[in-house]
Amino acid sequence: MTAAPDLPHLATPATAETAAADDLRRAINRQFGRSLHIRTLDTGSCAACEQEIRMLAAPHYDLHRLGLFFTPAPRHADLLLVTGPMLRAFATAARKTYDAMPAPKLVVATGACALGGVYQPDAFSHGSVEQVLPVDVWIPGCPPSPLALLQGLLVAVGRLAEQAGGQSFVAAGSA
Amino acid sequence: MTAVRSDTARALPAVVTAAEPQDGPVGVASVSAADLEAVTAELAAFPGARLADLFAARAAGYEPSGSGVAPADAAARQARTADPVTLRAVWALDHDQRYLITETPVGGSRYPALSDIAPAAFAEECEIYEQFGIRPAGGKPLNRVATPPQPDIDLPRLGRGPDEPPQDVHAPHVVGGQAFEFPFGPVRQVGVESLYYGLVTSGEELVDLYLFTWHKHRGIEWRTQGQTPQQALFGVERAEGLGAIGNGWAFAAAAESALGLDPGPAVRAVRGVALELERLYNHAAAIAALCQACGLAVGRAAAEIALEQLLRLNAAVFGHRYLFNVLAIGGVRRGPDATALRAGLPAAYGELRRAADALLATNSFVDRLEATGVVTTEEARRLGLVGPVARASGIANDTRADHPGAGSAAARPAVADETGGDVLARLNVMLAEAAESVRLIDAHLTTDGLAHAAAAEPGPPPRSGVRSGLGWAESSRGESLAWVELDEAGRISRARLRPAAVRNWRGFDDACRSQNVFTDIPIIEASFWLTVAGTAR
Repeated sequence: MTAAPDLPHLATPATAETAAADDLRRAINRQFGRSLHIRTLDTGSCAACEQEIRMLAAPHYDLHRLGLFFTPAPRHADLLLVTGPMLRAFATAARKTYDAMPAPKLVVATGACALGGVYQPDAFSHGSVEQVLPVDVWIPGCPPSPLALLQGLLVAVGRLAEQAGGQSFVAAGSA
Repeated sequence: MTAVRSDTARALPAVVTAAEPQDGPVGVASVSAADLEAVTAELAAFPGARLADLFAARAAGYEPSGSGVAPADAAARQARTADPVTLRAVWALDHDQRYLITETPVGGSRYPALSDIAPAAFAEECEIYEQFGIRPAGGKPLNRVATPPQPDIDLPRLGRGPDEPPQDVHAPHVVGGQAFEFPFGPVRQVGVESLYYGLVTSGEELVDLYLFTWHKHRGIEWRTQGQTPQQALFGVERAEGLGAIGNGWAFAAAAESALGLDPGPAVRAVRGVALELERLYNHAAAIAALCQACGLAVGRAAAEIALEQLLRLNAAVFGHRYLFNVLAIGGVRRGPDATALRAGLPAAYGELRRAADALLATNSFVDRLEATGVVTTEEARRLGLVGPVARASGIANDTRADHPGAGSAAARPAVADETGGDVLARLNVMLAEAAESVRLIDAHLTTDGLAHAAAAEPGPPPRSGVRSGLGWAESSRGESLAWVELDEAGRISRARLRPAAVRNWRGFDDACRSQNVFTDIPIIEASFWLTVAGTAR
């Protein structure tokens, strides 16, 4: 057995990431009791958006410390993070995934393809996510960096609060 | 162009390899449909030759009528005749630093079945059937590749579509009547691409596995028609975002070859730096995914620290975390920031090396990888696998070393070579390649004129008329090929893209079948580190 590797970078960096992260933590704490679950959906991306989404869980960004979690089950998800230009061949699977999510729920269109900036509507693709799913938040970028994704999630949490109509998700008296 | 018949086929590789270097590294030979089978057999037996790609294009000058989609009426379908099509097989002669393209005009709806001689060609035969409606003789079932089964979705084709739809893939065999199919996907784990697995299992052991990727087919080749090469490069980079440089360079080299442009050594060195940076971050990402698949949270975090540093280094050096918009046809859009690169690379690579050393000293991790997902040398050769997967199975192919020229910078790598064929061998190949990439980046940075490569003067005026060219590059996943044909106006009439993922997904099925269980699949998938986007382009 060898010594564990020395990992100085695991310490939290004091940067803009921290400030954005603090705002996000407060908002989610208030609305979702430190438990917002995200399901990702690839509707024809080039795999770069997926790589950036995976980086959200990496030590530099560490989504979990903010009370955000990825879930493989749409039935456990509050938020659908959609990448790609919504290919026609995939639209049915996308609708089924969305329908399986409980309300209140959000759709976040992620990356230039999802926003309609790469593919025109044509025989292959709807051209953008909003042609098929009701999009609440758009995150630009090709691909959006993890910091841009965090900022988009922050906006999305605010929208979720509006959609829930002031309904409290935290029992009275709890932190 | 040399015309070749079955009786002169034996001499063909010798003719190609004996050609003077100024004739270029790509030989073109015309082969009639009647002789194609014999010529293929001769080439397949030639030492160091492998069938690298097979694709079709409409015969030059032929204008199709109609949409390419078969009419619903059976009588109308019968009345249609096949479009004249040119079939091209790309042979890599790895011992002789040459590629050889055979061109075969096909008039009817049949051509000789090449996959009987070179099994690697089967997926391409399926693709050609879907896009052009011509099928190999022998009547073997052809699988669905890019066209979705939904009847309301009619995708445009590159040529005249087939009269009968291709067959859906199903398990070719069932063990003792006890196996069943377990469908999984296309919406699967979080943060990964959509992919449909058909798992055939008797409970725990994986009897068979097949993949559907048609729901990610974006028609990138179809989209390039009528575009200039520079316009098309935007889409080519985004065909497979994690291979933007590898695939983009192959495409740019193909277009430059067609146009008669030579971008020069400084431009190739800049592309070489970008290519090695792409390889480094991809290998780091593969190692992180491997740890995740094995449930090693600390190892994953350590690898992801290195990965994030490498992505930030890309942004500092070339202005984009995934190196988009670095390439241009005939040059590069920007040179590297050599100061940032020299300052940042040792730390980022050191982080990766540290994570790797800790992982390789963890016996439980190494045990998990040993004898998992084995691809034998014989299988790898039969399926025409490329890149780290082939190199881990005892096939030391690397276009950077085997095929210098348009797709390579001046400095050559020492080719990593392992023989185990399992996940551990693939990990070792990736680590050896990462070390070699750091050395190559250093060598590329010393190339004369590197700092001014982005501002280089355009070369001689491009050639005119109908012309075509082949390009290649060693992407992080292996040999990426592209072939481009331009019309008189300089617009693309046919672009063929063959990223390494197209080849290596074929080996994935076999690797998963070899005495593995369900929990091995994510580990094997991480060790292949392929993208669905690369094959469903």
